[in-house]
Amino acid sequence: MSINLRDSGATLWANANKWQRYLIAGAVILAVFALPLLEGTFLNTPSTPFEMVLFYPIGVYVLMALGLNVVVGKSGLLDLGYVAFYAVGAYTAGILSMHTKLNTWEILPIGIALAMLSGLVLGAAVLRLRGDYLAIVTLGFGEIIRITALNTSAVGGANGITNIPNPPTTFGLKFDLDHPRSFYWIVLILIILTILVIRGLSVRRPGRAWESIRQDEDVAELMGVNTYKYKLWAFIFGASVGGAAGVLFASKAMFIAPNIFSYNVSILILAFVVFGGMGNIWGVVVGAVLLSYIPEKIRFISDARMLIFGLVLIIMMNLRPDGLLPRKKREKIGVAGEKSK
Amino acid sequence: MSNQPVLELKNLTMQFGGVKALNQVNLQVNRGEICALIGPNGAGKTTVFNVVTGVYVPTQGEILFNGKSLKGKNRHNITKMGIARTFQNVRLFGEMTSLENVLTATDVHSKSGLIGSMFTTPRSRREERAGREKAYEILEFIGIDHRADQLAKNLPYGDQRRLEIARAMGTSPEIILLDEPAAGFNPSEKKALAELIVKIRDRGYTVLLIEHDMSLIMGISDRVAVLDFGEKIADDLPSVVQNNPKVIEAYLGVPADAS
Amino acid sequence: MDFSVLTDQFASLTFDGIALGFIYVLIALGYTMVYGVLRLINFANSEVFMLGSFATILVSTKIFNYTIESDPITGFKLVYTLLAMLLGSMIVSGLVSVLIEIVAYRRLRSRTSNRLTSLISAIGVSIVLTEGVRIATSSAPMGSPRLLDKITLVTIWGADIRLDTLLVIVFAIILLITLDLFVNKSRLGKGIRAVSMDYDTSRLMGINLNKVISTTFLIGGLGTGAAAFFYITVYEMTRFSIGFELGLAAFTAAVLGGIGNIRGAFAGGIALGLIEMYASAVLGTQWRSITAFVILILVLLFKPNGIFGESLQQARV
Repeated sequence: MSINLRDSGATLWANANKWQRYLIAGAVILAVFALPLLEGTFLNTPSTPFEMVLFYPIGVYVLMALGLNVVVGKSGLLDLGYVAFYAVGAYTAGILSMHTKLNTWEILPIGIALAMLSGLVLGAAVLRLRGDYLAIVTLGFGEIIRITALNTSAVGGANGITNIPNPPTTFGLKFDLDHPRSFYWIVLILIILTILVIRGLSVRRPGRAWESIRQDEDVAELMGVNTYKYKLWAFIFGASVGGAAGVLFASKAMFIAPNIFSYNVSILILAFVVFGGMGNIWGVVVGAVLLSYIPEKIRFISDARMLIFGLVLIIMMNLRPDGLLPRKKREKIGVAGEKSK
Repeated sequence: MSNQPVLELKNLTMQFGGVKALNQVNLQVNRGEICALIGPNGAGKTTVFNVVTGVYVPTQGEILFNGKSLKGKNRHNITKMGIARTFQNVRLFGEMTSLENVLTATDVHSKSGLIGSMFTTPRSRREERAGREKAYEILEFIGIDHRADQLAKNLPYGDQRRLEIARAMGTSPEIILLDEPAAGFNPSEKKALAELIVKIRDRGYTVLLIEHDMSLIMGISDRVAVLDFGEKIADDLPSVVQNNPKVIEAYLGVPADAS
Repeated sequence: MDFSVLTDQFASLTFDGIALGFIYVLIALGYTMVYGVLRLINFANSEVFMLGSFATILVSTKIFNYTIESDPITGFKLVYTLLAMLLGSMIVSGLVSVLIEIVAYRRLRSRTSNRLTSLISAIGVSIVLTEGVRIATSSAPMGSPRLLDKITLVTIWGADIRLDTLLVIVFAIILLITLDLFVNKSRLGKGIRAVSMDYDTSRLMGINLNKVISTTFLIGGLGTGAAAFFYITVYEMTRFSIGFELGLAAFTAAVLGGIGNIRGAFAGGIALGLIEMYASAVLGTQWRSITAFVILILVLLFKPNGIFGESLQQARV
């Protein structure tokens, strides 16, 4: 059923002209922006207000899943330490707000830049390694970041950093505990931007380079793809998205501590990507939304959340390795096909 | 035909542990010729390709491309310089369409990278369009343009082999190394492939060809080099090589070790 | 940093380091042998260790009804109780290891060559086991009754040679020699070596791949189970996350010694045990868990075939 849904969506999109496409996209975006209005309906979550759930976990996790998808799904690089970049973003927000007067919007680019820098450093060091080694080294890197934060008193040690300020009121939007929907809208804007960028990259040179690396790295290299450079870009791009998610999370939660950034978060995000469909943007979005919403909705699942995600990994890999919505099968007659007629 | 060398192997030795896969091999491939590389299984033919394209670093000797040494060059840089290859076992990007397979190769000479693509600069737009036109033109030339939008893994076997050639051409090489392009072909397909290889040569490419089918090789090669146990035992016009006793012995004699 | 600790307690740290090293060696077998055969990191091996450690304690508390307050025991009773704990741990670990192969790898092996798929599947198994135990134990650590009195046998250069640590070293050496003999002499052991050297040819030569692979997982699991028993004997405590903590260190040991290489795992394990002990003395124990990661990253960057290892292409296992 899910396949048909994807195909009919794709067909609808393919058959639409430019204006119809703007119209469809506009309507969808508007509907998604209006989601907080459904507070109090059947979508309600028992322990946390629905509006808050929309930002965290759903919004933040969708954003991170999109970032990790470029690394794991598109380029085939298994990064088990993705949480590190999230932590770098969050700690940037925490540390800068402790020592400077910068507000969230000023911190955001710095957090992204620092996350990218750590992506560059980690990537430059480990991307020459083969796939499974890469997994374990990135895992180690994530733990190094967490344990370092845990043992560094300058960043609060195990107690973390408290009193991180909320973002300032912007364009009349208040950002505080009473206005969770503002946070949701901000993360939504970042999500849309990320999707647009990834879509753009996917159909151009970087997308092809990533795709070729995932499928056969040796051949890609022999066909002239600078595989190291593009793997590094995938890492840096993923890191930037993770860093942005971290800054936003810290500015909403107002409090961060090392145990928030455990290995489990990396696995969680990986499960979203795998469940939805590695490499497919919409699959990843759907996967992340479902898997982060369901445990909030059905409370008894909450404690067994990780257990279920583990099962998701096993079951998906064994039965449906391409995920819920697999990568688009581009078998239809496209631009080039029309030209040949 | 000029005798200007495109590719030169000088005293090339490739050793794996105690085994010398190539031993002091000298070979010169001239611009605009079809040079065939033949020999029994395990003679070191594919090793030549692997050393030339940078998969292996030779134990000794050097490789010159247009007079420049390839020593220390990365594989993707070697490809960018103008050496392209196909693979003995088809190794396409199966989950990509035919057109995308070729596009991945044409990207070699594209200047816009990630940043350009991210912001859709005019240059990236222009290069993308030019790449598509070129890739499509190559598919037309090879004769598989009707497969442009099919996933490579779904193509019939023969078209997969042809797509490999198209992809190699996508890198705009000066020399193309074809590794058994006719493997698994029936006689009529082989004939068509021979014509295609000649057509490729006539388009200005130099071809170095590994093949087992003697009639195909004798029909189209300008020169034939023979490898046996990692050593070059002959290198001459097809008609001369055909009657070389050493070559005949390599193919027919001492069969026990010939595998 | 306090280097005086290092000089003052050098002998004692060395002794403890070697004992810890042997535990790493035994767990590392679970990684290195599977890697030799399948060229895959057996991500779930850390959970085999975790389950083994719980099995060890449960044998003493549920079967022999000892409690955390029980006094140490001696004589024949001590011997058979410890043996039962060791066997319990090895059997549980061995079985779990074989099951992991069937659940996480076997199906995928026959269907796809995509390594990413198998890897993610194994990570899933690891998470399921960890979380299952976490929920079952309500995240609480489980202490082990001290059945073996930790008497000091002799003191050499200021280091107390304790009975429990000595026991670990002696038993581990016996196990490792047995294993080495098995792999080098027995028919199945030869099968394992053959598959390690050339997977495809071995299959063509009529080696029963599934049997060889299952045996490899079984042996890896048995070694890991023994390690869990030794760990409990010395440290007397476990919890659901123990596999994550020790498993990665043991994996590092395997890489350090050249993964796929049994004797390399031995050298790597001992080396890592020593380095960790020295490092935690100098830097403080809170940094101990990072030591392994840092070493792992350094080794992979500068000497990916391992310090003690032969090259990956030759002489595996």
